[in-house]
Amino acid sequence: MTDTATELRTTRVVVSRRKEGDDPATPRHDTYDVAVGPSSTILDALVTIRRGQDATLTFRHSCFHASCGTCGMRVNGREGLACVTPVPDGDEVVVEPLANLPVISDLVVDMNVFYDEFDEAGRPLMRTSELVSGGGIAEGIEELVRFEDCIECGICLSACPVAGSDPRYVGPAALAAAWRVVEEPRGADPGPVIRLMDDEQAAWRCHLAWECSEACPSGVDPAGAIMRLRRAAAAARVRRLFSFGGNR
Amino acid sequence: MTTDELPVQPPVAIQPPAVAEPAESTARGIPAFVGQVVSGVALIILLGLHMVAQHFVVPTGLRFYDDVIAWLRNPVVIVLEVAFLAFVTYHALLGVRAVLFDFGFSERTEGRITTALTVVGIATVVYGVILFAAILGAA
Amino acid sequence: MAMSSAEPRRPASGPARRRGVVGWFDPRGRRLGGLAFIVNRLTGLGLVLYLYLHLGILSLLVQGPGAWDTFVDIALSPPFLLLDVVLLTGMLIHGLNGIRVGLVGLGFVASRQRALLISLMVVAAVVALVGAIRIFGD
Repeated sequence: MTDTATELRTTRVVVSRRKEGDDPATPRHDTYDVAVGPSSTILDALVTIRRGQDATLTFRHSCFHASCGTCGMRVNGREGLACVTPVPDGDEVVVEPLANLPVISDLVVDMNVFYDEFDEAGRPLMRTSELVSGGGIAEGIEELVRFEDCIECGICLSACPVAGSDPRYVGPAALAAAWRVVEEPRGADPGPVIRLMDDEQAAWRCHLAWECSEACPSGVDPAGAIMRLRRAAAAARVRRLFSFGGNR
Repeated sequence: MTTDELPVQPPVAIQPPAVAEPAESTARGIPAFVGQVVSGVALIILLGLHMVAQHFVVPTGLRFYDDVIAWLRNPVVIVLEVAFLAFVTYHALLGVRAVLFDFGFSERTEGRITTALTVVGIATVVYGVILFAAILGAA
Repeated sequence: MAMSSAEPRRPASGPARRRGVVGWFDPRGRRLGGLAFIVNRLTGLGLVLYLYLHLGILSLLVQGPGAWDTFVDIALSPPFLLLDVVLLTGMLIHGLNGIRVGLVGLGFVASRQRALLISLMVVAAVVALVGAIRIFGD
């Protein structure tokens, strides 16, 4: 239904629902009819639902401009940030939480699993933040950490078919972070990072589906990083092979 | 106030990442991926030769019995075909292993899968070699 | 308020809802590389099956000319020739995609992998077509 005056149309938003205690084996979906315009995003639609139809719908968001990385979800099966994903044409759109992560409530996933991958990798990969002079750090936080373009949204992990079937895989985001250290060590020795990721559950686990890079909303290109990391790992192996057990 | 009087901004602190040496190297063996690539390259050559020699240059696309036997009596053909069998078996079963490993089984199960596929692989090549001998013996 | 240095609070959540192996086959939202991933696996497994079928059929040669030549006559019938075209196509897709996987997977031309994939699949399609014409033409 289209209102030519306002260019509003009604679309049916099918949202995956899950609350604590629900049986994950029997997913529930609720449908909401929402008026959307040509520039409406999925996040707009979800906010509209929450305000006018169902206050129990939970989702996570903050910045509204693809910077905070908190509103990652799947729209018609494809990962994206809800704040910059337009409501697609058509009568119906299916909104689900990111895959391969535990669901806390509705569209909110437990990001600890995602962050744990960095821990598994030894967490050498986060750089100490470059502090803006005069800027302070909130009380209770020892230091600010962040790595480059990655907004830590978890979309790459959701899109990866290998992470989808085997939780042991370190995953695209941690590998991309590792590559950044190798690519730009800023005085550090990248050798340990290369050796850490030269593992069958790390750089060598990827099967080149390239879904992570295609899905990344921040241009990190984790798949390309993984391939470059492999090349560095292979080169390091060759160097070690010809060093006769000496230095790496 | 001249520019010389401006307060000096402290330099931005760029610290290298705290990269810890892993307790032990996690690199486990030569990655199966490299084995798959090496055998894959060998297969492109050997499968190419196999297809051309056994099918493309044969007018009917498949050799009849007498033609097969005459062809197999050439020792170069036997060496190439056995090498082809060895590489194709290795590549195929390594591929099956990669697929099965993506199921996320336990390491114990994965060990069993590797053992089972190694046995199957050796049995396949042995079967092939015996088959060659039996074909030539029966001719 | 200073944060506690104790264990971080973990929200109550169930196990990760992983796509699982079934997810490999979920076409929703998949892109070209994801398609190449699953097609590579399917063609690979198909070729493994064919390898063992091929080795089994070769045992007919031990039984002498009667058994083998009868098989060759059957194998040259149109339904079997169609299977040959399927086999050739599978080999081309798997082999040519394998070139991409080998090159890109060792860190070469990673930034051009999509163009490489498309180019190689065009080659696969052309060779498969020529092969099909030759198989049925003969």
